[in-house]
Amino acid sequence: MRINFILSEVWIGLRRNLTMTVAVIVTVAVGMAMLGVGFLITTQVNSMKDYWFDKVEVSVFLCSKNSADPDCKGKGATAAEMETLKAKLESMPEVEGVIFENKAAAYKNFQESSASKTLLEVTTAEDMPESFRVKLKNPDISTPVLQAMQGQPGVSSVVNQRDLLGGFFGLLDALRSASYVLAGVVVIASILLIANTVRLSAFNRRRETGIMRLVGASNLYIQLPFVMEGMIAGLIGSVGAAIMLILAKVFVFEEFQTFLAPGSQLQWDSVAWAIVWTLVIGVAICVVASFVTLRRYLRV
Amino acid sequence: MIHFDNVTKVYANQNRPALDHVSVDIDKSEFVFLVGPSGSGKSTFLRLILKEERPNSGAIHVAGKDLARLSNFKVPHLRRRIGCVFQDFRLLPNKNVYENVAFALEVIGKPRRFIRKVVPEVIELVGLEGKAHRMPDELSGGEQQRVAMARAFVNRPMILLADEPTGNIDPATSIGIMKVLDRINRTGTTVVMATHDAAIVDSMRKRVVELEDGKIVRDQSRGVYGQAY
Repeated sequence: MRINFILSEVWIGLRRNLTMTVAVIVTVAVGMAMLGVGFLITTQVNSMKDYWFDKVEVSVFLCSKNSADPDCKGKGATAAEMETLKAKLESMPEVEGVIFENKAAAYKNFQESSASKTLLEVTTAEDMPESFRVKLKNPDISTPVLQAMQGQPGVSSVVNQRDLLGGFFGLLDALRSASYVLAGVVVIASILLIANTVRLSAFNRRRETGIMRLVGASNLYIQLPFVMEGMIAGLIGSVGAAIMLILAKVFVFEEFQTFLAPGSQLQWDSVAWAIVWTLVIGVAICVVASFVTLRRYLRV
Repeated sequence: MIHFDNVTKVYANQNRPALDHVSVDIDKSEFVFLVGPSGSGKSTFLRLILKEERPNSGAIHVAGKDLARLSNFKVPHLRRRIGCVFQDFRLLPNKNVYENVAFALEVIGKPRRFIRKVVPEVIELVGLEGKAHRMPDELSGGEQQRVAMARAFVNRPMILLADEPTGNIDPATSIGIMKVLDRINRTGTTVVMATHDAAIVDSMRKRVVELEDGKIVRDQSRGVYGQAY
C-alpha cells in the first residue's frame, strides 16, 4: 500500500472538484449541527425531567370553611375526614410519602413564589388551602392516586403538578423533533450532493481509473481515493458542526440555563458526546454514500 | 498460454454474435497477428482475454486460469500478468514519461525502490532513453506509443495484447514500434496484436489468425495478411 500515492490522488480529486467539495462540507456541517442540537435538546430535556419529576407531587387540596368549591358544600374538612384521607393515601402502593401542608406553610410558599405585591397584600394565611403533598414512587404512574382522591369527602381538588410542566416539556420535545426532521432533510441533501460529487470525480478521472483497471490495480486502490475524498469532506463538515455545537452551547444553552435550576443544566460532557456522535455519523454517511455511488459509476 | 474453446460472445441488443464458436490455442512466447475487417471480432477477442467481457458459451483459459471460475476479486491479478497497448496510446497528459510508466507500478502497490530501478530500464528498452522527463504532448505519435508499451511491459507481463498499435502512426515509425514488440516477444512474452496493417504482417512473417464475422477463417503460421485486402 502506497499511502503517499493514495493521498496525492485524493488531493488532486479534492482540488479538481473544489466547488462540489465545499457544497458537501457545508451541507454536512449544517446537517450534523442540526442533529447535534437535537441530541443536546434531548439531553437537556432529560436532565430537566430528572430534576423536576423528582420534585413533582400530587397536591390534594382540602376544603376550607369559605371554599367556593361545590364539592365542599361550604364546610371545611373535618379532622376525621383528614385522618381517613391520609390513611388511605399512605396505604396506596404507588405512594412514597405524604406530607401535610397547613395554612401557614402554604402561605409561606405562596409568599416566596408569588411576584405580585398587590396579591400578597390582600391575601392572608387564612385564605390558603390546606393540602396533602403526595410524593409518588414513580411520577409516571399517578392515575390511581388521582382517581382515589377525586370527589372524596373533604377534598376540594386534586392537582398533578406534572401536568403543569407538561406544556413546557411538550414545547421542548417539539423543538427537538423539529431539529431532527431538519437534520434528516439536510442529511438527504448532503447524501445526494456526495453522490453527485463522486460521480463528477469518477468522470474527471476516468482516464486514470481506466488505466488503473487495465494494469491490474485492485478495487481498493481504485476506489480508496474516491472514498477518502468523501471521508475528508465529511470530516471537515463534521468539524464545522462541532464548532457550531460549541457556539450553540455557549450562546444559546448557557443563556437559557440562567433560568434553570443548577442541577438540570447542560454539561460540557454532553456537548462532547454530541460532537463525537455527529462526527462519527457525518463521516460514516459520507463514506457509505461515496462507496455506494462508486459501485454504480466506477466499473471495476 | 491463451486457450479458447468453442467461445461464443453475443453482445446485448445484437443478433449477430461478435465471436462465433471460436477455438484457438496460443502458446507461450508466441507472436500472433489477429487480422480481419472492422467488426470481425478482433477487439472482442482481446477483451475476453482480459475478462472485460464474459463469453455466452465456451471456455477461456489464460495463463492456466479458467476465466469463468476466476472470481471478480482476482481479476486484477490476472490483469497484472497481461500488458495492453492501444491505438490511442491512453497516456496521462499531466504526467511525464517516467511518471506514466511508474503509474502502472504505483497503482499495484510496488515499492518505490523497485520502481526507481525498473522504470529507467524499460524506458531504455523501448528506446526512449533521455526523454524520461518529457510530457506526452512533447512527443511524436511513435514516441507516445513507445511510452504506452513501456507502461504495458514494465511489470513483466506474460502476455502483451496490442490493439492496432500502429493505427495512428506512419509506416516508417511503425517499423520501430514493431521492433520494440519483437524485442518484448524475445524476452518470452506472448504477444497478440490485432491489426489492419498488411505491410507489417507481411514483413514479420509470424502466425496469422484471421477473423471474419466472428469466425476464424484462417490460422497460419508464418502467414501474410492475405490476398483479399
